[in-house]
Order: sequence, then C-alpha cells, then structure tokens
Amino acid sequence: MMHEMSMCGLDEKNFYCCCQLLLQQSEQLRDGWSWEAVQGSEEGYLKKTALRSVVIDSSSVWDHEGCGSDSEPHTSCHSQPDQPDEEEEQAAAVASGDTDSIKGDIDDEDEDDGVCAVSEGSSQMLQYEYHILLSCSYSTPVLYFRAFTLEGRSLSLEEVWSSVHPNFRLRLQNSPLNTITLQEHPLLGQPFFMLHPCRTEEFMRPVLQAAQDQHRPVNYVLSWLSVVGPVVGLDVPLQYSTQLHPAPPPSSGKPD
Amino acid sequence: MASETSEAVSSTPDLKLQFAPFSSALEAGFWHQLTQKKLNDYRLDESPKCIKGYYYNGDPLGLPTRLTLEFSAFEVDGPTPARCCPATGTLYNTNTLDAFKTTDKKALLEKEAKEIWDAIHSEAALKDPSILCKFILLTFADLKKYHFYYWFCFPALCFPEGIKLVQQPSALEQVFSAKQIAALQEAYDGMCIKRETTAVPYFLMKYTDDTVQMVPLEDWDMFFTDTKKVTVGVYDPCTLSQHPGWPLRNLLVLLAYRWGSKLDTVEVLCFRDRTLQGSRSIQHSVIFQIKLPALPLNSACPKSVGWEKNPKGAMGPRMVNLSECMDPKRLAESSVDLNLKLMRWRLVPSLDLDKVVSTKCLLLGAGTLGCNVARTLMGWGVRRITFVDNAKISFSNPVRQPLYEFEDCLGGGKSKALAAVERLTKIFPGVNAEGYNMSIPMPGHPVNFSEATLSQAQRDIEQLEKLISEHDVVFLLMDTRESRWLPTVIAASKRKLVVNAALGFDTFVVMRHGLKTPAVSPSVPAGADSSTSCSSASSSSSTPAGSVPAVQGSSLFSNIPGHKLGCYFCNDVVAPGDSTRDRTLDQQCTVSRPGLAMIAGALAVEMMVSILQHSEGGYAVASSSDDRMNEPPTSLGLVPHQIRGFLSRFDNVLPASLAFDKCTACSPIVLDHYEREGFNFLSNVFNSSHSFLEDLTGLTLLHQETQAAEIWDMSDDESI
Ligand SMILES: [Zn+2]
Repeated sequence: MMHEMSMCGLDEKNFYCCCQLLLQQSEQLRDGWSWEAVQGSEEGYLKKTALRSVVIDSSSVWDHEGCGSDSEPHTSCHSQPDQPDEEEEQAAAVASGDTDSIKGDIDDEDEDDGVCAVSEGSSQMLQYEYHILLSCSYSTPVLYFRAFTLEGRSLSLEEVWSSVHPNFRLRLQNSPLNTITLQEHPLLGQPFFMLHPCRTEEFMRPVLQAAQDQHRPVNYVLSWLSVVGPVVGLDVPLQYSTQLHPAPPPSSGKPD
Repeated sequence: MASETSEAVSSTPDLKLQFAPFSSALEAGFWHQLTQKKLNDYRLDESPKCIKGYYYNGDPLGLPTRLTLEFSAFEVDGPTPARCCPATGTLYNTNTLDAFKTTDKKALLEKEAKEIWDAIHSEAALKDPSILCKFILLTFADLKKYHFYYWFCFPALCFPEGIKLVQQPSALEQVFSAKQIAALQEAYDGMCIKRETTAVPYFLMKYTDDTVQMVPLEDWDMFFTDTKKVTVGVYDPCTLSQHPGWPLRNLLVLLAYRWGSKLDTVEVLCFRDRTLQGSRSIQHSVIFQIKLPALPLNSACPKSVGWEKNPKGAMGPRMVNLSECMDPKRLAESSVDLNLKLMRWRLVPSLDLDKVVSTKCLLLGAGTLGCNVARTLMGWGVRRITFVDNAKISFSNPVRQPLYEFEDCLGGGKSKALAAVERLTKIFPGVNAEGYNMSIPMPGHPVNFSEATLSQAQRDIEQLEKLISEHDVVFLLMDTRESRWLPTVIAASKRKLVVNAALGFDTFVVMRHGLKTPAVSPSVPAGADSSTSCSSASSSSSTPAGSVPAVQGSSLFSNIPGHKLGCYFCNDVVAPGDSTRDRTLDQQCTVSRPGLAMIAGALAVEMMVSILQHSEGGYAVASSSDDRMNEPPTSLGLVPHQIRGFLSRFDNVLPASLAFDKCTACSPIVLDHYEREGFNFLSNVFNSSHSFLEDLTGLTLLHQETQAAEIWDMSDDESI
C-alpha cells in the first residue's frame, strides 16, 4: 500500500475499526449509533435516527433565495406534462374523501375518557435517518441521509433544508461538501440523499496530517463526521473528543 | 404546549388518570419493505401477518409518544434498537381499497383485546408482559399510484368507571433523594444486564432510603410478601409530566385482575431515561399513586379502545402518497432537477433554470445533429422536445446517431422521428417528446406533380407552421441546405428564435438567426399610444418593448443587435435549390468527422441556453471573439451570433454578420410575399428554379454587378 493512501485513505478494515470505536463511544454517550449488518453479507453501515419538531413553512421559497431575478414560483421544474395538476388534485381529493368516509364502526371511541388531549400545534415531527457507509472507490466514509414525516413520506431536499436550517444553503455553499445528490442506497436500494465523497480526502488530509504530526490518535470516521454532520443537521457531541478512549492503531504504522 | 394544557385539565379536583395515546411513526423504509413483501411474498394473501414495532422512553420533552415501525418491522425475530421496547403487532394488508374500507375494525380490535385478556387470565402476560403492548395495522397499498392507506390500533382494555389518582403525580426528583435516584438507575441497569437486554417494559420495585430492588413482573408473589405498599415500574415512552403513556394501561388491568382484591392503591413509576449531550438523567420519571379500580370477578373481556385518530383529530385512517419517493419516474425527475439546481447553487447562482427547462424545442432533423441536440437538451432538463424527420433508420446510423440501435434498422428501419421519441422516453420518462414523420418541402423540388402531391405539400406546410407556432426555439438540424429554407422563412415571420447547426467535413457552423422586431400594427404609431401599451420595463424575450437599442456609429460587425443579425441564407448570393454550386456545409453527415456532430450539437444547445439567460433573449447584441476578455453579458458568458469551428485546428471563432436585405429567406420582400400569399408563394418557390427567388430579391441583379464571393469559404465540395 502506498504511503499516501495509508495516510489519507480508509480501507475496509480501518473503516470497521473506526466504526467499532465510534460505536463504543456512542454507547457510553448514548448517542444512538448502531451497526446495521446487511443480511447474508459482511457489509454493514452505521445508522442513527433522530426526531425533531420543526415548524413547517409550507410556502418555503428556499429554492429561490438569493436569486434576485427569480420571481416566478418554482413550478415548472416539477411540472408534470403527462399528469396535469388538476388530475393530481382530483386524485388527492378522492383519496382524502376516501379516508374520511372510512370511519366505519368505531364511533364509540369518543367515549374513551382515559385519553389525554394532545395538541398537535403548528409544529411537525420529522424523523431523520443518517447512515455512514464506506465508499470503496474513494476510500472515504460517505454520509447518506433522508428525512421523513411520521407517515413515512420522504422529504425533498428543499423541504429538508428549509426545516433544518434557514441558512442551510449558505452553510452548504461555504462548506467543502457542497455536492448532494439523490442516490439509491447501495445496500438498501432505496432513495437517499448523499454527500458526495469527491472532496472528502481534500478536507480530511490536513486533519490527518496534523494528528500524525502531533502523534495524536485520530478516528477518521469520527473526525470526518464532526465536519460533515452539522451540515445536514446531525450534531456530534463534543464529548466524543473529550472522552477518554482507546485510539485506533495508527494506520501508517501497519506492517503492510 | 401540549403538556401545559393537559396539566390544566388534570388539576381539576377529580384527578382522573388519563393516558397519552401512541402516535404511529413509520420510517420511510417501512413502506419500501411493505411494497417488497406485497410484490414478492404476500401477493394476494390477505391473512394476518406478524410484525414488530418499538417504543422509546428517552425522548426530549415535547415529542409525541411514538410507536415506530421501520423496514425491519417484518423480521419479528430481529433485534430491537438498543434501549427500546419491542411491541408485536398484526398486519392486515388488504388487496383492495374496498376491503380496507369494509374490514370490520371493531371485530379486529375485539379479537386482539380478547387475546390480551386471555393472556391476563392465564399466566402468559406475567411471564411475557410485552403481550400487554400490542398493535394492529390495517393497510392497503395502491402500488400503481404509490398511495398507502393505513390505520393503527393500540388495543387497550378499559375500566368501566375510569381510574382515579390518589394525589397529583410527582416527578421522581421530588420524591426520591439523589442517592435513591442513583440506586434506582443502578438497579434498573443491573436488571437489564441480568436479563441480557437493554430495556425492560414492566418491573416491580422496593426501596428504602438508600437501596432500590428491582425484579421482573413474574416474581410478584416472591417479591411482595405483604401488600401494604406495592410499587410497579413501567418503561414509559410518554414525555408529559402529568400523564403516563399507553403501555401502563393494560398493566393496570392485569394488576387489578390478579391483585385487585388485595390492593387498594398502587404506586407506579413511569420510568423515563434520557441522555442529552452525553449526560443521562432519570429524575424526570413520574410517580403516580393510583387507586386500583375493582374488576368484577369472572367478568367477560372489558370494553376496549385503541384505533388511532387521523391528523385531523377524527377517527379514521390515514393515507400517504409516496409517489415522489417511490415512483421511479418521479425519482428520475427529481434527481435530474436536483443536479441542475446544484449547478445553480454551486456555480451560477443567477442561472434562471426555469426558463431553460420550460423552453419548448422543435428539432427539425433527427439525424446525427438531432440526436446530439436532443441529448444535450435533456441534460439541461428541457422537457418538451419535438422531432420532425422523414427518414428511416439505416444500418450506418446507430454508430453516429446516439438515439438509435441496430435493431431499429431491421425490417426497413423505423422512422427516425418516432424512434427518437421512443428512445428519449426510455432515457427519461419525464420528457414530453413528440415525433412527426414528415417531409419539409424545399425550393427547387417541385410539389406540383399531381393534385395529391400538391395537397400533401400544403398539409406539410400547415403542420410545420403549427409546430413552429407551438414551440419557443426551432433547431435547424437537417442535412440539406434547401430544407432549411422553409422553416427559416416561417420562423422569421413568426419571430421565433432559430438555432441552426450545419456540418462540413471538419468544420461546422452553429448560429442563431436574427430575430426580427415584432411586426408593428400600422394603426398604432410606435410609442405614441400610452393607454394600451404595457409598462416600459418589460424584459421578457418574447415581448421586447418594441424598441431595440439602436446601434449608432458601430463598426459593421461589432455590436450588432439581435434583430439586425443575419440568417443562414444571408451570406449567400445564390438561392437555395442550386445543388451544384453551394455545398460547403450540409453535406451528408456521414462524411464529417464523427466527433463533429457531438460538438456542434452540444454547442447549439449551449448557445440556446446562453441566449435564454440574456435579458433580451434573441434580441441580445451579438458577442464576438473580441468580447472574450470583456464582462460577459449573461451569467453563462457570451451570446454570439455564430460559432464557426475548425476541427483541424481545434479552434472556434465567433463571427457576427448583418442581415442581408436581398436574403432569399429573411429579407422583407420574401417575408412579405410569404405573409400575403402563403402557399401560393411557397409553391412557386418549390416549383421554380432558383432564379425565382434571386429575381424576387434582386440577387440576379447583384450577380451581374459583382463577382460572387463567399465570406466564409470553409470547405469545398470534395468528392465523396
Ligand atoms: Zn437571411
């Protein structure tokens, strides 16, 4: 293995090693990371879910922020020439009529006085799912994520961002990870957003170099996560770095 | 907030115990998995299936009490997330919406309630108290529309008279000392370790000032030798300070059934255990003193409740439309859009994508150029693409024309226009493509052989006029010069933007035709009528405010405004139709260097996009090669009149040229004849020799005066 690679790249063995250490720390901090093994294979990924209450601005114009000339509503990108909106609306109306009409035989339910009133308010609950996988082609970790309602409907990227950070786009543009794509999850085959790993090595290099210069152990996955996580609303508690933990074996010191 | 309003409710003297119901929470993966199960395993099988959910007692304040189902819900024996309690459920997936509607929900609930009641009767619920926390999920998956109908039920047995509290609930920290809290936490963790789990749904406890003991529910008789004081713990997913979550409900029925005769009150610890920023706390757990209601001995199964209300607060099912995230066609569309938006977000913030995406493009010619133009348009997210071509796909085509395959050549070959549409739709189903297998009449190619050919020509012209009217940009991508004449005339007359691409062997030209100023109605003097004219600030390309900046004192070939730019025929001193003299470009594409069509096709589209980004659109002043160092007029850069490329030198130049007043296609006299005489004029052009147009425009005269010379002598008509 080239020296360069062992310094900046992350092979499968090191990835699992870093993940194990992260899991141990997460367990101590109860940060909620778990290892999801893929059935019938050695592969797997780190997973964490989070629930947040957000105020949903349904008229979000995030897509048009900072774009002075844009005054039209952003409809044409989503227009469905084959499926006129009218038809969609009708379908929706029929559907909601359907669900409204299915009250069936559950009318005595209102008599249940053992239930406390729960006000929904103007906020909405969103579930966030974060996965960390290893990109073999880039030899770096990759973050996949999606957000969905309690009904299980995934949000569009605009919805995600307008719900997480008002200034999200700015953060993203200023960060080294400004490439998000909609991708099929390589292990689950379901659509996820992915922070493209094409620039990961670039911003990880100085981090790893500094650690090596100071003979300080560094968990690649954790260091990387603390950079990319906040960009998509995933906070990495400071305790991860202050907590005493066993260091991964420095990869450059390996015999091969 | 929710907790405050409910506090107000429960501070009434009655002190009735009320439970926070479960809110169903489905992860996106659940629906994907249900879809897979339905397609691969269940198919038409409607029999009940065992599934699994879980709940968690570590949520921050204010979150709803959830029962979560993720994609692993179908693996009943699979692991439960750490520190979560599993709940088993029964899935009823119906095959039709009607079956979903007519399913007897009351019967389903009663059946499940009966099972819980039976488990309470037997020892089963003591040994495995998770039976107390079950759920029903009724679903119908409309996999054509990706609409999922569902209704959860969390069966709970009811005491006829409700449940009374002896006193207000208290937070653990108000009742327990710090030492006791630490001991409680230790006891719970110890019990988990002993039972090799990370969460215990129900447990019994005894405590002193400095110790806490904890055992599972089934150890009751050994643990509580006297029943003066009984404390029961429940893993509680609720975050409200005055209410327990749903799991306590059936436990109280179990307690009342088994020990009700001996117990008057019971102390319940609603155990909540959260970690924020690495620091764990359980002191917000809640202690309830509950007066245990009597259950009539040997009674029948008590009344049960549990169907979940929908988001409107009404008793009814929910429907979630997942077409956006599950329909592959919609996914393709949002992925394409996202990629384009990224380009804007990252690189060109002022890029007006909607203008590009919504542009309707007419491609005249579906050969090498047409195929490449179409692909580049798709890359830009253009949705409306229409092809016109009369050729069939031949064996030599697929290697150069990227929309066709070998198979398309068999049996005489498919129509290019139609095959191109088919392929575009395969590449990207979100495209709105149409194809017209028709010919475009040409000067010098008579149409008057018969009544039939004449009326066919008339129909073709009408169709072409209609198509040009319906589109925003016309691409001229044919392989003959003559066939470009008619669309040039029609588009000039209709003020449509024309982008023209033509190939030589190793040279090409990509150009926009000059866009004539809108025809001014003679009755309205320009600028005089203030009452009907629009405001002056219109910058839309389709409706320039009547005035195009006049260019004064400019040199002949710099700063030419869009309306003064020439068309493809303006540089010619011979009319089209003369196939012997002017064949510099427009040779058969098969004799051009193979990369040329891709280059020229891509440039044609990129030129269109740059024009669209200019505030004046087709009226934009032509950028020239000299402008390469200047501030670009659009976010994407220059808006040239022509791009002439020389592959031998790997070089492009950006010339601009004025419209020619004797042009055989765009001069006022030609447009005037076309607009006044229509088909009569056109058929004259088709049926006559090229001298007809040359006479009309005055070219004949010009020929006599000067030596014909071409400005751009790019390539001669070499023998093939
Ligand atoms: Zn012209």
